[in-house]
Amino acid sequence: MPKQPVNVVLNGKPITLEVEPRTTLLRALREVGVTSVKRGCEEGECGTCTVLLDGKLQKSCMVLAVEAEGRKVVTSEGLLGPDGELHPVQKAFIEEGAIQCGFCTPGMVLAVVDLLSRHPDPTDEQIKEGLSGNLCRCTGYASIIRAVHKAAAMLKERS
Amino acid sequence: MLAFELERPVSFKEALEILSRSGPNTAVKAGGTDLLVWMKKNLVHPELIVDLSLIEELKKISFDPSGGLVIGALATVNEVAEHPQAGKFYPALVDAALSHSDFVMRNKATVVGNLCSAVPSGDMIAPCCVYDGVMHVAGPTGERKVPIMDFITGPRKNILQKGEIAKAVELPVLKGHSAGCYLKLGRRNALDLAQVGVACVITDTPGGREYRLSFGAVTPRPVRAKVAEDLMRGVASPDESLLEKAAEAAMGCVDPITDVRASREYRVSMVGELTKKALRKSLERF
Repeated sequence: MPKQPVNVVLNGKPITLEVEPRTTLLRALREVGVTSVKRGCEEGECGTCTVLLDGKLQKSCMVLAVEAEGRKVVTSEGLLGPDGELHPVQKAFIEEGAIQCGFCTPGMVLAVVDLLSRHPDPTDEQIKEGLSGNLCRCTGYASIIRAVHKAAAMLKERS
Repeated sequence: MLAFELERPVSFKEALEILSRSGPNTAVKAGGTDLLVWMKKNLVHPELIVDLSLIEELKKISFDPSGGLVIGALATVNEVAEHPQAGKFYPALVDAALSHSDFVMRNKATVVGNLCSAVPSGDMIAPCCVYDGVMHVAGPTGERKVPIMDFITGPRKNILQKGEIAKAVELPVLKGHSAGCYLKLGRRNALDLAQVGVACVITDTPGGREYRLSFGAVTPRPVRAKVAEDLMRGVASPDESLLEKAAEAAMGCVDPITDVRASREYRVSMVGELTKKALRKSLERF
């Protein structure tokens, strides 16, 4: 199957992906070196391939790369500040030890950024709902929930 | 995933034209969250996929107080869950939407797609049945409207003919004040298929109080518990013994299978329990 170009804005920079119709956004992103987007189950269950597509959370294994034509894709790399400093959510994850193997972390961090944009001061219930699409097999989630609360406080202080 | 050709029409007319000249092994895609998984698991191998996702007119959710709620084929489960009138007039649908998969998948999965996939545990099926949902099906010879009860003909089977597209599902407005809910029994809250789902809606019609019950994951085709509904018709506040009788009748309406998620016996028994719970919860919400 011949490849076709797909133009996306990846973390603020225009980029052209060369893909087949069957290429998922997940595979296309990894192909160009975006390794924060993890290939886990590839069936839409685990959430390790989560990205923000035009500001909405999507599991990139469930999106054909061609569907991203002309759209904005944000991955965990895109959360860094202009001088490479970590996003408050990323900092909070480190400070609270909400990372063990780290495989779920990039997707989880994006889900938290999205959650806090909708609920700046979330309850534990809202956190569980907002992170329901992202599995973590290490932490038991307790440290992740602590990190979300911490990130919420850090973001509030910043604004 | 095997290779396939992809068409991305930008209008509904164009989509119908592509389908009219396509071969038999063509799949229509909205969100694609079932299709991509089924392809990956080698359950289907379409040669051509017609992706509807660029067709603006299919993204709409509209509500007309005298007509009802019309959900376009591309409206995602989250968009329906967040729709103010859906929450107000169709609570069983919104409950079910919020029980579907997980928050991220609901940004991609569509309500109409869930109905077309016709998996017996599909969370959208039972609520669409209690609200007398009707599928708008468009094809080369025009449009037809098919009740969801008839639209789904068996596990993963629907009445769509070659060249046809399910355009929208319409839920007519209820004739009077109503309340309802959807209860789902699963092993975990997110990303689980239902062992049993129960949708219930109660309406104060001009002719008296009316009850509707439908179930997920316990029948090959959609079902309404007509016997239970008739038992309760006109009763404003049913007592425990009537709830018990309704639950018995509901258990008689289902025909579940035993699979990895639950046994037939457990499912039948839970249909009874959840029917009582759903009736009580709907009455509380009234």
